[in-house]
Amino acid sequence: MLLDILQTGLDGVMVGSLYAMVALGITLVFGLVGILNFAHGQSVMLGAYVCFFVESASHSFWVGAILATLAMGVFGALLERAVFRRTLGDPFAGLAVSLGLIMIVENVAAAGFTPDPRFMDPPVSGSFALGPLVLSSQRSLVLVISSALVAGFWLFLQRTKLGKAIRAMSQSRRGAALVGVRVDTVSRSIFAVGGALAGAAGALYASLFAVTPFMGATPLTKGFIIAALGGLGSVPGAIAAGFLLGLAESFGSRYLSASFRDGYGFIILILALLFLPTGLFGAGKERV
Amino acid sequence: MTEEVARSRTQAAHVSAQKLRVKTSILPGVVGWLLLSLLLSVPIVYHSRYIVYLGTLLALQAAVVVSLNIVMGFAGQFALSQSAFFGFGAYASALLVRDLGLDFWASLPLTAAMTALLAAAVGYPAMRFTGGIHLALITFAFGELLRLLTANLHDFTGGPQGMQIAYTPGIVIGFDFGSARGLYVLACGFLLLCLLISIVVRCSDFGRALFAVRDDETLAASLGIDVTAHKVAAFTLASTLAALAGAIYGVFASFISPEMMSASDSIAIVGMLIVGGPGTTAGPILGTLIFVGLPEFLRVAKNYRLLLLGIIIVAMSLYSPKGVAGDIDRLVTGARRRGD
Repeated sequence: MLLDILQTGLDGVMVGSLYAMVALGITLVFGLVGILNFAHGQSVMLGAYVCFFVESASHSFWVGAILATLAMGVFGALLERAVFRRTLGDPFAGLAVSLGLIMIVENVAAAGFTPDPRFMDPPVSGSFALGPLVLSSQRSLVLVISSALVAGFWLFLQRTKLGKAIRAMSQSRRGAALVGVRVDTVSRSIFAVGGALAGAAGALYASLFAVTPFMGATPLTKGFIIAALGGLGSVPGAIAAGFLLGLAESFGSRYLSASFRDGYGFIILILALLFLPTGLFGAGKERV
Repeated sequence: MTEEVARSRTQAAHVSAQKLRVKTSILPGVVGWLLLSLLLSVPIVYHSRYIVYLGTLLALQAAVVVSLNIVMGFAGQFALSQSAFFGFGAYASALLVRDLGLDFWASLPLTAAMTALLAAAVGYPAMRFTGGIHLALITFAFGELLRLLTANLHDFTGGPQGMQIAYTPGIVIGFDFGSARGLYVLACGFLLLCLLISIVVRCSDFGRALFAVRDDETLAASLGIDVTAHKVAAFTLASTLAALAGAIYGVFASFISPEMMSASDSIAIVGMLIVGGPGTTAGPILGTLIFVGLPEFLRVAKNYRLLLLGIIIVAMSLYSPKGVAGDIDRLVTGARRRGD
């Protein structure tokens, strides 16, 4: 029984760290430029494809994952430059534009890559025993990588100058501009960093699940739930909410009902909005 | 912040000034209604199964966009759950008929009541917040959730393979609503009902309060409008109408599946409204014709159609936020001003 709980918990943490990677980009873009970026899920999908194609050409998951991360970082910066810069200050135009982008990217991908699901060989296979626990090697690897990336991102925000500028801007765009933060550059960099995290998440998704042009919707949905649960704009909230959602899903589907797996997070979200309207830590912007 | 408030106020002033100008002439409205009735009568006169089929599809689609206009165009709330409620209505009605043995017509009020409850339960937590971001996010997540649940609850809904619908609305007062033409009349009637409701809402105190909420929530609250209640009411009304359209779609297509609730359909519906012109009466109809009608006539493959529509959404929201109806409006009023 205890073993079962531990195993389920680890599974939840693994899924949760993946969710958190996607949610960070959503919550930061929202906190900095006020845009709810629906096209963020497409970065996960494109990242998965980049990783898949590079892996099948070079037979190295690592090269694929690194290229996917870099490519999606560039993609995010390009999107900011081409589209989102024009909708600053009008959140609804930004939202509408990102909806249009979903359709463009998804259907170009469906036409270019065919809608057939593709499967990639994970870099490690089999399972190993940790005391009495039997763990899947690939899932453990994903857990380690994604936790490291989330922790690294946290350090980046706390320790680097750009991170400090991002935190300043999420508190007040005008205040940051007044003390000399280049708000344009920081906005672009947050699209790039968020995109890179989504690309890395895509590579990890590709090592676990099928790659299809429509795979972006699920991470996007989870990312939205987490961003709102943690308080829109709050980074610690998003990380905590990511793990909470992962745990809720794995325990819910293990002990309650597996067909309702995707519903648990939504119920938590509704309850949180009713009783904790500023997010888990009250860190989100009240009345956004 | 003050800048934004000032801007939204000038925008509001601009919009109401435009409305006054439009009200001075009823000609565009009359022409619009004539064109619509002409369009609606085509499948009745023209004997082609394809035209009747396309007409029914367009009418139901337009009804959903008209209903979205109430929450998005009037109240300024970004609801991304129209196709989810469309699908919910189809399943609710079908299950009421199959499992409770109800008549199709009797299932409609029950479907409406269930949808209204569900919509209020989803909308209230999201719309307690100022601005529409939470609603966009939650309705999107809700739509995906509903689709996945429908696909997962095999025993109840038939799972991802969908459900066959064997019944028809049947003969009512000597008119066979089960025939292709009868279903077309039903769909058109429902579209006209939605248009009527949206016009009544627009002209009522409720509608004016929604416009005030859209233009400035703080100002509206200071005028004594219960902002949250108005937003929830608009969302509930829009969702209920979408669900009824779904119930009619079920008997029309005689097959329903969880794919009806896909997020891309909700996005397409929002796109139709953006392209047509949110907040206008003609906008939803124009948007539907452009989105569904044109590609259907041009026979574009489905993937390229959605790609094209994505490009149109991006271009319209960047360059013409008032939509085609807004452009026509500007052309007409601009021309008249020059003529004065």
